[in-house]
Amino acid sequence: MKYLSEYRDGEVARGLIQRIRRAATRPWVLMEVCGGQTHTIVRQGLTELLGGAVEMIHGPGCPVCVTPLEQIDKALRLAADSNVIFTSFGDMLRVPGSECDLLQVRARGGQVRVVYSPLDALDLAVKHPDKQVVFFAVGFETTAPANAMAVWRARQLGIRNFSMLVSHVTVPPAMEAILSAPDNRVQGFLAAGHVCTVMGWTEYEPIAERYRVPIIVTGFEPLDILEGMLLAVRQLEEGRHEVENQYLRAVRRQGTPAARELVSRVFRLVDRKWRGIGEIPGSGLALREEFADFDAEYRFGLEAMQVSEPVECRAGDVLKGRLKPVQCPAFGKVCTPEHPLGAPMVSSEGACAAYYNYGRFRGESAEMAAP
Amino acid sequence: MREQPGAPGTLICPAPHPAADRIQLGHGSGGKLSAALLRDRFLPLLGNEVLCQGGDAAVVPAGPGQIAVSTDTFVVQPIEFPGGNIGSLAVHGTLNDVAMMGGRPQYLTAGFILEEGLRFEVLDRVVEAMARSAREAGVQVIAGDTKVVERGKADGLYINTTGVGLIEPEFRPAPDRARPGDQVLLSGPIGRHGMAIMAAREGLAFETEISSDSACLVPLVEALRSAIGDDVRVLRDPTRGGVASALNEIAVASGVGVELEERAIPVPGPVLAACEMLGLDPLYVANEGVLLAIVPAARAAAALAALHSHPLGSRSVFIGRVVAQHRGLVSLSTTIGGSRVVDTLPGDQLPRIC
Amino acid sequence: MCLGIPGRILEIHDDRGLAMGRVDFGGVRREVCLAYVADQVRPGDYVVVHVGFAISRVDEAEAQRTFEALKEMSQLEELEWMREVAERSLAAQEDRAS
Repeated sequence: MKYLSEYRDGEVARGLIQRIRRAATRPWVLMEVCGGQTHTIVRQGLTELLGGAVEMIHGPGCPVCVTPLEQIDKALRLAADSNVIFTSFGDMLRVPGSECDLLQVRARGGQVRVVYSPLDALDLAVKHPDKQVVFFAVGFETTAPANAMAVWRARQLGIRNFSMLVSHVTVPPAMEAILSAPDNRVQGFLAAGHVCTVMGWTEYEPIAERYRVPIIVTGFEPLDILEGMLLAVRQLEEGRHEVENQYLRAVRRQGTPAARELVSRVFRLVDRKWRGIGEIPGSGLALREEFADFDAEYRFGLEAMQVSEPVECRAGDVLKGRLKPVQCPAFGKVCTPEHPLGAPMVSSEGACAAYYNYGRFRGESAEMAAP
Repeated sequence: MREQPGAPGTLICPAPHPAADRIQLGHGSGGKLSAALLRDRFLPLLGNEVLCQGGDAAVVPAGPGQIAVSTDTFVVQPIEFPGGNIGSLAVHGTLNDVAMMGGRPQYLTAGFILEEGLRFEVLDRVVEAMARSAREAGVQVIAGDTKVVERGKADGLYINTTGVGLIEPEFRPAPDRARPGDQVLLSGPIGRHGMAIMAAREGLAFETEISSDSACLVPLVEALRSAIGDDVRVLRDPTRGGVASALNEIAVASGVGVELEERAIPVPGPVLAACEMLGLDPLYVANEGVLLAIVPAARAAAALAALHSHPLGSRSVFIGRVVAQHRGLVSLSTTIGGSRVVDTLPGDQLPRIC
Repeated sequence: MCLGIPGRILEIHDDRGLAMGRVDFGGVRREVCLAYVADQVRPGDYVVVHVGFAISRVDEAEAQRTFEALKEMSQLEELEWMREVAERSLAAQEDRAS
């Protein structure tokens, strides 16, 4: 695939790995805040290949993982309503709520459908005028333009039986929360390439300055991640702390202005709870007043719900990079992809699932080897 | 009673009026409609002396030794897809399962659950495909059954097929026979069936030329048997769960580890593209026309040549080997030299946004 | 959040006021909303697509440049590494000789 497969070139990757190993005079600690990047790093076994030159701490970059338990429980409630067709991105289906997950609700008769795009959910609403179609609008800033357009279109076309359950989060506040924690070890960031494709990188400049960390806007293929790491290591070796763009083929400093504009017309900034982490001020998006009609919480009168997380779940510490999944006492024992305690074990971008699925038999998780 | 439009006051008699073009509940009742269905739709296509005898059970010759029996129920949606339909799938799938244990398929049974309202033209296409697939494989359908359920159940139709094959004593591939040092062969590119189906599903609609690879693998198995006989240690068709799940099962059954080379695994461009779009891994996508063969290293070249000798196996390759380490686990060496575990998934792969 | 893949615009049309395109992803084609990049793209251009929306145009010149630079760097790296290996081996020989 053009502009994708080239960035998986094995030979070039090995060259980059060598370059990183030679450039680093000491081990550096970097964090990526993007599930897709976590996926590539663990899938390719990159950390291992870097031989200790770079330690990657996997940040809370999986919007599926950080969707608050309350929102999941609201989703489950809606999905169980026989008048509702509940639509969602695929990765949300197995995320455990307080009692069950969307797949189980489907098994009990709820109409739950996977869609690829929020516009597909809109199509379903048109096709089934006798039902209420609710779309689970989860994601970072990358997905906000798509979700904004769905609401905009619904209003424009007068589609009355469509609404969204919103659980959007934004990256920069999370990065600041991590950097300002007293026990923070992160020395540099790989910023999420597709978030920046939409938003540009101006929001990261004050962060790089204030906390004196290099922030590299990075793509998702192995060569992108490796080049991003190399740029970060170079900055660290040279004592610089700037925002640099590795993902030049897709990202410009101003992002995609038309997308940012519609997002700010449809959504407003709110405080948002991140599952496992807690509330991060100004880190979420919610529908503006004038679009309240399309807000499923408003339409269905969903009040605040009592939620209960399993006590043994250390998702928060994993998401903050304080704990490696293999260090969690529940990892691989009480908590597995078949019986996940928390979201990072469910989503294939979640650090726990990534380690379980890809890293199990290596040194870092030797105790998880086959029976 | 309902009003006929345009003629106020005219009532229409609600007595059963056979909708001539589709299945009705009466077709499953065992009465005249059922007999007509069998006589007019099934027998002309599937019929052979055994099936046409009628009778409550088929009585047929079996070989002197053991038989391999496999049963499978097919509920695929949509019923018709590029590269086949539920009928061809039902025949290929079951015949392949019999062949994977070394059985030479002889007979098939077919049980149908039909939804009220299923159009005859769809049923005909499905049964035609079954008949053609069975004929090409040299197999007879010797017993069958039909039930009809109410509209809203059965998604059109479900088919169960059971296959019976004859076992030769010197050809016993089995999942627990893989040994360290053996080579893993794959007979063709992966991911076609699963992605063809996914492309046709509502909500994920994308256009593509991907068509299902559904095919009868018996000729490939025959070629392997002729070439290296019982040195074919394991045979497996990686259907649901893909190559990854199949190899995991074998690794556990045999108590061995498996190491794969990512760059050796053939994935057609459009399959890769579709997987990229949805965030799926081709290793877990269903196949219906490829097989995995595990053979001792010394016979590997001969096995590969045998597979190449048949059009279905023309793109066969080595994809890995069996090892004594990490027993029960499958690992993959990536194109950039890293490695990772390829585990079984808890359920179906789900398209992701991240 | 992340899953954005590059595709080539085959054609552009309007759907009730919304710019849409048929985009080809290495043999798979899908309808994509081009509203956010409509003024920057035409058929033949590549866009990054996330959940059915084009979120930016691929700068092909830049992509080419980056990739060439990476390839060159890795080849240089190979040479430098070989040189390093040679130097180390030479140094080891000298150690043994002295």
